[in-house]
Amino acid sequence: MSEPWIPIVMRRDGDRLIMEWSDGFKGAVTWKALRDACPCAGCKEEREKPADPFRILKPNELVPLAPNAMPRVGRYAYKIVWSDGHDSGIFTLAHLRELCKPLE
Amino acid sequence: MQPHGGPAPKISLPNIKYVVAVASGKGGVGKSTVAANLALALARSGAKVGLMDADIYGPSVPIMFGVPCPIDQQTTPLPLERYGIKLMSMGFVVPPERAVIWRGPMVDRALRQFLTELPWGTLDYLIMDLPPGTGDAQLTLSQHAPLTGAVIVTTPQDVSLVDARKGLAMFSEVRVPILGIVENMSYFVGDDGKRYEIFRHGGGKKLAGLAGVPFLGDIPIDPRVAECGDGGEPMVARYPDSPVSKAYAALVNTVREQLEAIGGAELPEVQM
Repeated sequence: MSEPWIPIVMRRDGDRLIMEWSDGFKGAVTWKALRDACPCAGCKEEREKPADPFRILKPNELVPLAPNAMPRVGRYAYKIVWSDGHDSGIFTLAHLRELCKPLE
Repeated sequence: MQPHGGPAPKISLPNIKYVVAVASGKGGVGKSTVAANLALALARSGAKVGLMDADIYGPSVPIMFGVPCPIDQQTTPLPLERYGIKLMSMGFVVPPERAVIWRGPMVDRALRQFLTELPWGTLDYLIMDLPPGTGDAQLTLSQHAPLTGAVIVTTPQDVSLVDARKGLAMFSEVRVPILGIVENMSYFVGDDGKRYEIFRHGGGKKLAGLAGVPFLGDIPIDPRVAECGDGGEPMVARYPDSPVSKAYAALVNTVREQLEAIGGAELPEVQM
């Protein structure tokens, strides 16, 4: 079931995303942490594979990743369009809240 | 990590005040009948109304509104207009004997086209008749269409209520506001004036109480509803003074109250 709180402000601040929630909670999460936690099936599968020390990086992996856009998905989630074209992860509000660390 | 094409944009319908999904967890509860008659009752109250049949695999709107299909799109522009409401259905463009055998992404594309490429004009209400269940059509519309809220249709018996609960859970998960529950085929009024509860009674109200959502009303069963549906003239249009039509008029009021109460709680845009 959905949560009673929703974000009221979502703002990019350099290498992190600032989130202010309807219950007064203010927090942030880095874009790197968001990409590492991408909930799409492809990324989940990547994370579950054992690390390969001999893996050769692809050219697009050598460039630092950045978010190009973060459109809303209905009333329950956001998706992130990354600079490498990846955009299939749907971040539900509950997931974003879980990743959100309180602002210092 | 797999790169993909650009994101599917959220559909904007600035000329439509309220977009209402009529849904149920289960087939056969009279969802299309409720959607059609609710749309007509809204139109009879003076509102500008559209009805979009989002059931791509089993469209009901053509038969319910007496539209011979497929229509000739060269001479008949879509959406069609019948009884003062604008209509769109996959059934208008596919011959009745042909099955639409599509995977989810094609359904997604068709629904987007219905919403974005048809001249709906300015509407007070766009009613969407959803297919039963919690699948592709529901997900597409809840993710991309600006749904104001959903009406869940059930019949009184437990087997329907179990599935209605699933519909409620789905809309709750995707944060589409639930306007409330309608109990269809709730009772029968005999010639003797007595009320007979054929499929039991009160299940919809009980479910609404358990789920903490409004109970919008109950619609009586009447054999003329089926006769009107098959005859291409919905009950509210043909027998406007019947108890069923009066129940729909009452439903219009409760749906309106809920729509005005919920307002719009859209998520904020991310400032990049």
